[in-house]
Amino acid sequence: MSFTIDDELWSAVGDPIRRRMLDLLLTDGGGTSTTLSARLPVTRQAVAKHLAVLDRVGLVHVTPSGRERLYAVDEAQLARAIAQLSSVGATWDARLRRIKRIAEAIQRNQES
Amino acid sequence: MEYGSIEREIHVEATPEVVYQVISTPEHLREWWPDEAEFEPVPGATGVISFGDTSTPEAHVVPLTVVEADPPRRFSFRWVYDEDAAATPANSLLVTFDLVPSGAGTLLRFTETGFREKGWEAAVLEEQYRDHTSGWDHYLPRLVTYVDRLVSTP
Repeated sequence: MSFTIDDELWSAVGDPIRRRMLDLLLTDGGGTSTTLSARLPVTRQAVAKHLAVLDRVGLVHVTPSGRERLYAVDEAQLARAIAQLSSVGATWDARLRRIKRIAEAIQRNQES
Repeated sequence: MEYGSIEREIHVEATPEVVYQVISTPEHLREWWPDEAEFEPVPGATGVISFGDTSTPEAHVVPLTVVEADPPRRFSFRWVYDEDAAATPANSLLVTFDLVPSGAGTLLRFTETGFREKGWEAAVLEEQYRDHTSGWDHYLPRLVTYVDRLVSTP
C-alpha cells in the first residue's frame, strides 16, 4: 500500500508558474530558461530558480545544449506526483466502503 | 469550491453505535485500513498504525493522535506528522468522522483537512487534476498506464 506523501514533490507542482512551465515543457518536448521566460510573465532568472526546484524533486531532466541547459519533463516522476494526489481521495473512498461493509455485517449479526 | 480538504458522505445500514465501534477501535480499524493499530480511542491518546510486516524494515509505522472521541457522534484523529513531534494543526492531517442517525442507519460524514496547512497545496493540484484544465488533460491520458502501475505497487 502506498500512502507516503512526498511533501517536497507536492510543493514543487503546487506552484502555478511551475505547473505552466511543466505544461510548456511537455507541449514543446523541452525548453531552456530563455525559451520559457519568453512565454511566461516572469524573468529568465525566476524561471531558472523554478527549474532548479523542479530539478531537485526529479520532475525535470537537464542536458547541456551549447551555452544553455535544456530541460525536459520526467513523466514517470510527474505521474508519481499525480498518483499520490489522486490516491488520497480514492483510498478514502475504498476505506469508507469497507467501513460500510463491516458495520452492516455486524448489524445483521446482531439482528439475526 | 474548497479543495483544501477531502469530504465524503456515505450511508450505512447500521446504527451509529455500531459504526462508531468500526471507525474507532483498533480491532476493527485493522479490517478496513492498517495491518496493525495500537491506540486507546480516548481524546489525547497517542498510538500508531502500521502497514506491512512490522518485523521488517519495509513496514511503515505511522503515529496517530486521537483528538475527539464522542460516541456515537464523532471520532477524530490527527495523522501524517513527524513521529518525533506532537501533532498540531500545522503539521498533521485531521480526519473527522461525524455520525448522524438516518432512518434505521447512519449517515457517516468523513473529512480530512490540513493539506493547505502542511503546505502541500493539494487544493490547487486536485482542482487541476479534476478539471483537466489548461493543458493537463493532454498528457494525463498518456500517464494512465504509469499511474495504474504506481498506484497498484504495494
